[in-house]
Amino acid sequence: MKILCQIGVIFSICWISEIIESLLPFPFPASVISMVLLLILLLTNVLKLEHIREKADFLLANMAFFFLPALVGVMEYRDALQQYLVPLLVICVVSTLLTFAATALSIRAVLYLMERRKKHV
Amino acid sequence: MSELFASPFFGVALSVLAFWVGVKIQKKTKLAICNPLLIAAILVICLLLIFRIPYDAYNQGGSLINLFLSPATACLAISIYNKIQLLRKNWLPVVVGCTVGSVVSMGSILLMCRLFALDAAITASLLPKSVTTSIAVGVAEAHGGIPSFTVAAVCITGILGSIAAPFLIRLFRVKNPVAAGLAIGTCSHAVGTSKALEIGETEGAMSGLAMGVSGLITVVFALFLTL
Repeated sequence: MKILCQIGVIFSICWISEIIESLLPFPFPASVISMVLLLILLLTNVLKLEHIREKADFLLANMAFFFLPALVGVMEYRDALQQYLVPLLVICVVSTLLTFAATALSIRAVLYLMERRKKHV
Repeated sequence: MSELFASPFFGVALSVLAFWVGVKIQKKTKLAICNPLLIAAILVICLLLIFRIPYDAYNQGGSLINLFLSPATACLAISIYNKIQLLRKNWLPVVVGCTVGSVVSMGSILLMCRLFALDAAITASLLPKSVTTSIAVGVAEAHGGIPSFTVAAVCITGILGSIAAPFLIRLFRVKNPVAAGLAIGTCSHAVGTSKALEIGETEGAMSGLAMGVSGLITVVFALFLTL
């Protein structure tokens, strides 16, 4: 019953988020709305972590598995994928590298500046 | 025969089995390239092709699994909530890092799509590929992209990121676990986050945090791109 309630809580939040998504005048994915919603509920203590812990642990621990059917869906687009395979791979490799480097280096810069300011004050 | 495969149980059972095999191989080899998700997807695709099972039949069960993507994304709120002290303490690096990362990601993709002269639909499909599937598909669809391409690009990016993460950490000498986690999460979303969790608790938490924040930033920036 405990897990059943937790599923109920999380799925309710997801459903409400889909309603909010349909009401918003701009494209904002429902999953992000549900994430923000859940965070607000937790921060305002409306929802306690105990209310959803087991279910959430299950979902988070198996995150990669939930992507499987979506990835298998690629087989439906074999021809198009073959045609664009090289640019697709190049774009993925280069942008992943650049994004990692940009994030890591900008954070390092921020941490360095914060450190220096602390010393000056 | 084909109606047997059209049962939702088939798709779910096959997926779990394939993923279980993937996890076993990963544990045995300990090689980053043996990503459980990648192995499982190749296994399922090969099986479906060999036995001529249509994707739609598999997807009876597959769509059930898909259903959990959104709740799983929602639960990322918990990893943020658990690390709220860490976020309060590091809000500046988180916001700056994720913003710079997301902008560089989308900017570099846009530029390379122009270089390869890819059409608008493909560009829109690739643009949000650094964020988690459910967010990326939403963004791609809103901009006229092909969801399946987005999923492929998101998965390739995630796997790439999780494979490359330990090397990139060494290459850029990222000693700070906060910076490492944020960089992994920003460039390779949930798949990267699962790798970050293996590297360390702080890395995992920051990675989860980063994929949430970067997802939000990407959605917002994508709004401006349409205007």
